[in-house]
Amino acid sequence: MACQLQTENIRKEYPGTVALDNVSVSFDGGKVHALIGKNGAGKSTLVKIFAGAVQPTSGRILVDGQPVVLRSPRDAFAQGIATVYQEMSLVPGLSVAENILLGRLPHKKVLGASVIDWPAVFARARAVLDGMQVSLDVRRQVGDLGMAQQQIVEIAKAMSFNPSVIMFDEPTSALAQHETQTLFGLIRTLAAKGVVIVYITHRLQELPLIADTVTVVRDGRYIGTAAMAQATPQTIVQMMFGEVVQKERPADLKAGTEPVLQVRGLGQKGKFHDVNFTLYRGEVLGIAGMLGSGRTELLRALFGAEAFDAGEIVIGGRSVRTVTPSLMKDLGVAFTPENRKEQALVQILSTRANLCLASLDRISTLGFTTRRRERSVVNRLVARLSVRMPDTEQPVSSLSGGNQQKVVVGKWLNTEPRVILFDEPTRGIDVQAKQQIFQIMWDLSRQGISSLFVSSELEELLEVCHRILIMKKGTLRGEVQPGTLSVDELFVRCMTDE
Amino acid sequence: MPPLESGSRVRALLRNSVMEIVLLALCIFLAFRADGFLSMQNFLNVLRTASFRGMIALGMTMVIIAGEIDLSVGSMVAFSGCLAAWLTGYLAGPACGMSLGSAVTLSIVASVLAALGIGCITGFLRVRFEVPTFITTLAWMSVLRGSASLITKGFPLTPFPEWYNFIGGGYLLGIPFPAIIFIASFAIIQVLMSYTSFGRAVYAVGGNAEAARLSGIKVYQVKVLVMAIVAGLAALSGIMQSAQIMSGSHKTAEGWELEVISAVIIGGTSLMGGVGRVWGTLIGVVFLGVLVNGMTLMSIDEYWQPVVRGALILGAVLINLAPSSRK
Repeated sequence: MACQLQTENIRKEYPGTVALDNVSVSFDGGKVHALIGKNGAGKSTLVKIFAGAVQPTSGRILVDGQPVVLRSPRDAFAQGIATVYQEMSLVPGLSVAENILLGRLPHKKVLGASVIDWPAVFARARAVLDGMQVSLDVRRQVGDLGMAQQQIVEIAKAMSFNPSVIMFDEPTSALAQHETQTLFGLIRTLAAKGVVIVYITHRLQELPLIADTVTVVRDGRYIGTAAMAQATPQTIVQMMFGEVVQKERPADLKAGTEPVLQVRGLGQKGKFHDVNFTLYRGEVLGIAGMLGSGRTELLRALFGAEAFDAGEIVIGGRSVRTVTPSLMKDLGVAFTPENRKEQALVQILSTRANLCLASLDRISTLGFTTRRRERSVVNRLVARLSVRMPDTEQPVSSLSGGNQQKVVVGKWLNTEPRVILFDEPTRGIDVQAKQQIFQIMWDLSRQGISSLFVSSELEELLEVCHRILIMKKGTLRGEVQPGTLSVDELFVRCMTDE
Repeated sequence: MPPLESGSRVRALLRNSVMEIVLLALCIFLAFRADGFLSMQNFLNVLRTASFRGMIALGMTMVIIAGEIDLSVGSMVAFSGCLAAWLTGYLAGPACGMSLGSAVTLSIVASVLAALGIGCITGFLRVRFEVPTFITTLAWMSVLRGSASLITKGFPLTPFPEWYNFIGGGYLLGIPFPAIIFIASFAIIQVLMSYTSFGRAVYAVGGNAEAARLSGIKVYQVKVLVMAIVAGLAALSGIMQSAQIMSGSHKTAEGWELEVISAVIIGGTSLMGGVGRVWGTLIGVVFLGVLVNGMTLMSIDEYWQPVVRGALILGAVLINLAPSSRK
């Protein structure tokens, strides 16, 4: 069975933006099609449309040449389109077989009552796994399995619907090297059966190993498809980035020469090792690295969110080996975590309470504080951040993503930090809010406050930073100056193994 | 939360004062239907009875706002009363020969310190080994009740001097002494929760412990302290209770933990943590006190009372939830 999945002039508009702009693509069965693009290029929107999770504004989807309408994930299943997401959707307390057949367990009649037919459950689950040429005990509890095996269960669950299309959304992001190999073998087996495989990834180095064709989207538009055999990393990167006019930071920004934060031989088992760098006064220092490079772990360790087990941090003339967030705060370090909602803000509390969160001790005298005192602090911060907030007493959850991020930054400004660690501060916020976050970093720089800036958006690093460190496989592999290289060159340096 | 326009301000005030209005309605109803409800003596009695549980409810409010729970407070009341009674008897007895006055004082201090220590242990197990406070305090509930029986060997201990009764049954300036302690505790905890950085931290920790930690708030301090505070308040309540009945009895305060938690929830504090008001708990405590008193005055069948109370608790919670679920 050779299948085909096509789109004709698919367009998806969101209020204010066009996520997909007349995209026409075609994926044939029996091949692995890589779908790539930068963050926000539109690839996940396209996948969601195929999965029935999002409806296109206009355009058609065709399966085997027949137009189909996918109003819900259920419709997509019915059309034989299955998706394996990077977050697992398994129930850890149930067996492999139950997970594969969840909600569709075969029943039989015993004495007039309908009960689960366990032999049939296990037999059917085993048949699915056999079809994938995988040996896995169907009676084992999923929670006891490793990540790679769980991924296999996830795929088996998708396969049990006998799909003609399977989409993989960043399936390797949680896997180790050898597990990735197993997964690739499995994907090849599926492709050999004539199934259409759409494979979304950030990792360019995976493409030659798994993909037959590579399809690139950029800014919501279809850029092109190349056979993997003919494509070079350079041509792919060029397709991904196009011609970019690189913006530059304001000319008056100067990094000082006085070291503020020195990191020596820092390591955390299995996450990063032997990290050395110095951050100077007023400097905006970027860390470029892909997902899984250890950049987030490094930042968390620097703030004491997670302990490190080797090396030291020198700050304010003190060498620190045992860190906690409250100690690092006292030493003048601030941290805006990657996950705003879960790690940075108390969603049910007011904007005022959140803005005061990090500086409760400063606002109070001998432990006592008043509303009025908190308000005056809040008013000062709101003015400094240029946040439009009708009412700071409303829960912070009522603010837009960009304004929430400013609240996160704002709560630290009142602690008078020396260094702010920014982990993906621009994730999920609009262009204008991004520029405002950059403005804040630059203003801080002018006041002599240093920033350490981690971002997946390499253009941002090139625009904002004085220097950029490149992080790969848990350690720093070089340093570049913005202005000396283009974004695709930086991307290639982050991706490739030298 | 004061909104901007005055029209919606009135509406918000009404929305935030549902329980106050319900309590007022209950009082008006009882004023007409229950003989003797409106007398000063009855009012002071309700206040005294409510104070023993109310003190604990104040501490429980902090614990629940911080996202924890304490199921051992009833047992703690019994344990600390028995401990104080046994210690008094021992210290004033032939083995030590202390004067009764200093024996009582020392026993009270020792009982409260023991409770604070137990609360600290619960908090420590929570932050160090991530043992849920539900489990730890469930264990304490059993251990403390059993210890109270062991101390008393099953019979009430009565070593207390006459004047000791003042702590639980006396009046100061015409107000029951426990009520004074209750109101004082209310004032202190209200200030603690609204006007100190510690109180603000309790809300943050209960609302999102990870965000609080990553804001440099010492989450472990907050959790240990709230558990110690509620245990200490339960011990104080236990001392006052033993003074009222003039004995240490292992049977006192059975089932109090759930009554206390009910009062906190009626007061609008969320079991999910991060949301709640000390004032609301005060209303919840008075509401339950008035309700029981009213049913007794109206001579409602003793067996019906728990049924009515349970139904009203559920109703109160539904009323409290209504404004937020409408969004």
